[in-house]
Amino acid sequence: MPSRTASQDFLKGLWQENPIFRQMLGMCPTLAVSNAVINGVAMGLATAFVLIFSSFLISLIKKLIPNQVRIACYVVIIATFVTIADRFLAAFFPPISKSLGPFVPLIVVNCIILGRAEAFASKNSPGRSVIDALGMSAGFILALLILSSIREVLGSGTFLGYKIMGAWFEPWVIMVLPPGAFITLGILMAISLQLERKKREK
Amino acid sequence: MNLSSRMVIVLTAVGLLSGGFLASVGILTKDRIALNKKMEIERAIVSVVPGSVASVTLYEEKDFIVYGGKNEAGDLQGFAIYTSGVGFQDKIVLMIGADASLSRLNALAVLDQKETPGLGAKIVDRTSFLVYWENKDFSQPFSLRKPPAPSPDSLTASEVNTITGATISSEAVLNIVNAAREKVKALREEGKLAPGGTHAE
Repeated sequence: MPSRTASQDFLKGLWQENPIFRQMLGMCPTLAVSNAVINGVAMGLATAFVLIFSSFLISLIKKLIPNQVRIACYVVIIATFVTIADRFLAAFFPPISKSLGPFVPLIVVNCIILGRAEAFASKNSPGRSVIDALGMSAGFILALLILSSIREVLGSGTFLGYKIMGAWFEPWVIMVLPPGAFITLGILMAISLQLERKKREK
Repeated sequence: MNLSSRMVIVLTAVGLLSGGFLASVGILTKDRIALNKKMEIERAIVSVVPGSVASVTLYEEKDFIVYGGKNEAGDLQGFAIYTSGVGFQDKIVLMIGADASLSRLNALAVLDQKETPGLGAKIVDRTSFLVYWENKDFSQPFSLRKPPAPSPDSLTASEVNTITGATISSEAVLNIVNAAREKVKALREEGKLAPGGTHAE
């Protein structure tokens, strides 16, 4: 269903076309950095920065780029913003930069960004592209927030580093390890599909 | 203008603009990133050498640096050894604090590691690992206690605890410390740790 209004452009990223639960894009950073809420949110914000600015710029210069070299141009533009985000984090938030490690540079190959550039920004006005990017970023951050909250609370007994579970709680170490990411994501995806099916039956 | 020259021009322009922009970002953030690194090292030195407020580099080679921790008067309070070794998945970088006579290990600080979260990554945690590395005997090699002792008091002065489920990470730290111990003692025998020789121990 093509979106028509600005609010539709924004809202579809949150649920209908949520990059994680619906489009299943950007799985690599999602699975890798969602072991703690702070990492998930930082990754979400860094991706949002790259997505919003690259969508805007690509939409702005879409007519100048010959079709044959568009992907190469998109990648250079995206990589530029990713490098800015990476340097910025290293300069001002060294602990976050350290814990995200190689996953900040890897935003370059995050399919959400290239996907939105190709599917939306290259066909729509800069204004709509920014709104679309904002919606997709919000959807991505939301998904990462849910995933990382579940994993951090169950896997470490903390939320944003603060202990919230009592002394009786034995952390489920598997939740902060890669298998925990797959299990949690699978369950969340099943829930979201079930909700969608219920909605359609009505 | 034909298509191929347009492709070349657009790609070159995008590349040049991006390169120029990134160069300026690099210049703007370079100093701050270097400062962050330096401050992290400085903080680690002060934390493993009690009584020190500043440091001097006494000996340096690739991935092995010996710092001297000094108090306000400039007297040597002890040594901080920056060293690294292979962990379970990647390099573990440590700062080892020893007293000025190299007979006692004050404390360890982990500067970098990529061990398994929830298991080997406990080497950064004070209560489950680093506390067992405080105030130990630095005159002989360390050994691991396995299964782990319930409290730091039940270990001998040269014994340290193993993390349950992360023997490899615990052993990696042990080996890094033991290797650094040998090395720093040898350097001292050779008289390479005296900075101008003015500061008494």
